[in-house]
Amino acid sequence: MNRATLTLLSLLLVCALSLVAAQQHARRLFGALERAQIEERRLNQDWLRLEYEQRNLSKSARIRDVARNQLNMSPISPERTLYLKESK
Amino acid sequence: MRPVGFSTTPNLVLRLPMWRSRLMLFMLFFVFMLLLLRAFWIQGPGNAFYEAKGVRGTQRELELPASRGKILDRNGQVIATSLEAKSIIAYNDTVPDDLSADKIHKLATLLQMSDAELRKKLQEERKQVFLKRQVDPDVAQQIKQLEIPGIGLNNEYRRFYPEGEAMAHVVGFTNVEDRGQEGMELSREKELAGHAGQRRVVVDRLGRVVEEVGIDQLPQNGKDLQLSIDSKIQYIAYNAVKNSVEQHHAKAGGAVVLDTQTGEILALANYPSYNPNDRRYLTGEQLRNRVLTDMFEPGSTIKPFTVSTALEKGAITPSTTLPIGASYLVGTKPITDTHPNSSLTVAQIIQKSSNIGAAKIAMNYLSPEEMWDMYTAVGFGQAPKIGFPGAVAGTLHPYKKWVPSDQARIAFGYGISASLFQVARAYTIFARNGELVPLTIERSPDFKPGTRVISAKTAEEMRAMLETVTQPGGTAVKAQADGYRVGGKTGTAHKLVGKGYGNKYLGYFAGIAPISAPRISVAVMIDEPTGGSYYGGDVAAPVFSTIVSETLRTLNVLPDAPIKQAAVDSSEDAEPHTVTHKATQVVAKK
Repeated sequence: MNRATLTLLSLLLVCALSLVAAQQHARRLFGALERAQIEERRLNQDWLRLEYEQRNLSKSARIRDVARNQLNMSPISPERTLYLKESK
Repeated sequence: MRPVGFSTTPNLVLRLPMWRSRLMLFMLFFVFMLLLLRAFWIQGPGNAFYEAKGVRGTQRELELPASRGKILDRNGQVIATSLEAKSIIAYNDTVPDDLSADKIHKLATLLQMSDAELRKKLQEERKQVFLKRQVDPDVAQQIKQLEIPGIGLNNEYRRFYPEGEAMAHVVGFTNVEDRGQEGMELSREKELAGHAGQRRVVVDRLGRVVEEVGIDQLPQNGKDLQLSIDSKIQYIAYNAVKNSVEQHHAKAGGAVVLDTQTGEILALANYPSYNPNDRRYLTGEQLRNRVLTDMFEPGSTIKPFTVSTALEKGAITPSTTLPIGASYLVGTKPITDTHPNSSLTVAQIIQKSSNIGAAKIAMNYLSPEEMWDMYTAVGFGQAPKIGFPGAVAGTLHPYKKWVPSDQARIAFGYGISASLFQVARAYTIFARNGELVPLTIERSPDFKPGTRVISAKTAEEMRAMLETVTQPGGTAVKAQADGYRVGGKTGTAHKLVGKGYGNKYLGYFAGIAPISAPRISVAVMIDEPTGGSYYGGDVAAPVFSTIVSETLRTLNVLPDAPIKQAAVDSSEDAEPHTVTHKATQVVAKK
């Protein structure tokens, strides 16, 4: 009887301690998950921002302007275009 | 005698009545019972309240943000996107009254307002004041670093439109609450809008999230929307319209480009426009999507449909000759032509845009019902179903109400009204061998079957006539496009001012290209040109020409007109020249 009680008591103690440890572990993991999610959001926002910037830099109005004024290019005209027919 | 102890004198014996102790006992018992009951209440039935109170101390409800969907063009290029921004809020109870002038100045500078303005906002009676909304995240970070008590940051989204003016009328814009106000942003609000979710978390003493209790509502991001618009073609159209409006000192202009094979709207340009990223000085004039919401009398652009009706009936052929003369009286007012002719063939009536000719075809060969059926079949008098806010139906009165002079004038486009968009759509019947294509503003690059309006033979005859309009002797030689055969019809309408026609004009051109295998239908209008000529052939046709040649090149369509080749240095071993001088080689798909 006494022995059984002691065994059960020690078992209970082990269980209780492992519960605390598990909870602690869970919280730490949760913290990491939370941080990762915030990071994900941030990266997502960065990606959207970069996509927007890329679009801003590659829009037709800017390309035309740069090609004309900085690179001295002129628009394609059919007179200076060689049309190659695809063989079937 | 019994000895009587001093202490036991009977006089001192206090005979307490029994009920007093009973009462005491009962009261004690009663109080304990009360305590027990209370304890029972707290543990049992009344528990929820206290539990909630406890939860409130440790749990928080957090919002799970959801973003608004992006709008993309047909090639997947972003034309509207949401980026995170912050709103700056002042909790005026918490902001100290003796805030140093230095800090106020720093904050005001970051918020781009004057010190006095900021002070006024901080002294407002309300508990919460938005100091500024949609602040750049970098600026928000600097504001946070000032560490002023009672100044908080809130997460928000801000919408950005990289294409700016060129795409403004198509995309529209959203307000600070991220709700659509105009254009596609408004009409597709349901799909685009995101719905924020909510979750419950446990926080520790310092307010850090330590555990998630549950998600009450999952956030729903808005759906991305892919339009049929091609931002390159849109830019080409916008630029061409803009240049023409400036050159002719016109009030406004617009252009539509349709893909006749898929029914997709490739471009829908309006000028004047506005920058949707900065709407501070916005006026109603700039906001108007003229292509869809402005009605005008289509004038001569409607003649091809009158002629088609008669051709379809077999009443005339392109070579039927009609006497024209200087004027033609139907009703009370005579109909006249700008350049009188004694007689013209049907093809010449189209080529030279003869009002008398069109009226005579209508009066001699057609009934009002037949004409009404044709105009209705090509979409006049009905609002186009493309999910655009404010698209007008135009007016086409029931044929039973037409008097002869109505019939004669409607034959050349007066007494009927339509939007430029409707005209562009109607012209697809000539491009599609007689079929009217259903239109869409969402990307769907498959060939669409249309509804037959006229026979393939009539459509072919009409194409030939429309091409002569752009050839020497026609009204729109300026519509000719580099490398491509085009066909179309000019229109010049007197604008209705009040109840009559004033001295204001609208010049337009509607057409299809390339004639050998039509791919696009384009309609252009220039509103109130004042710098010299106001004829559609002079103001709108050059815009058509620019749009057609640049668009077809963008779409890699093989030229079908004979091209005069410039001297091309094609020998393999030649030194490469600069891009401007070397021929560009393009593999065109047939």
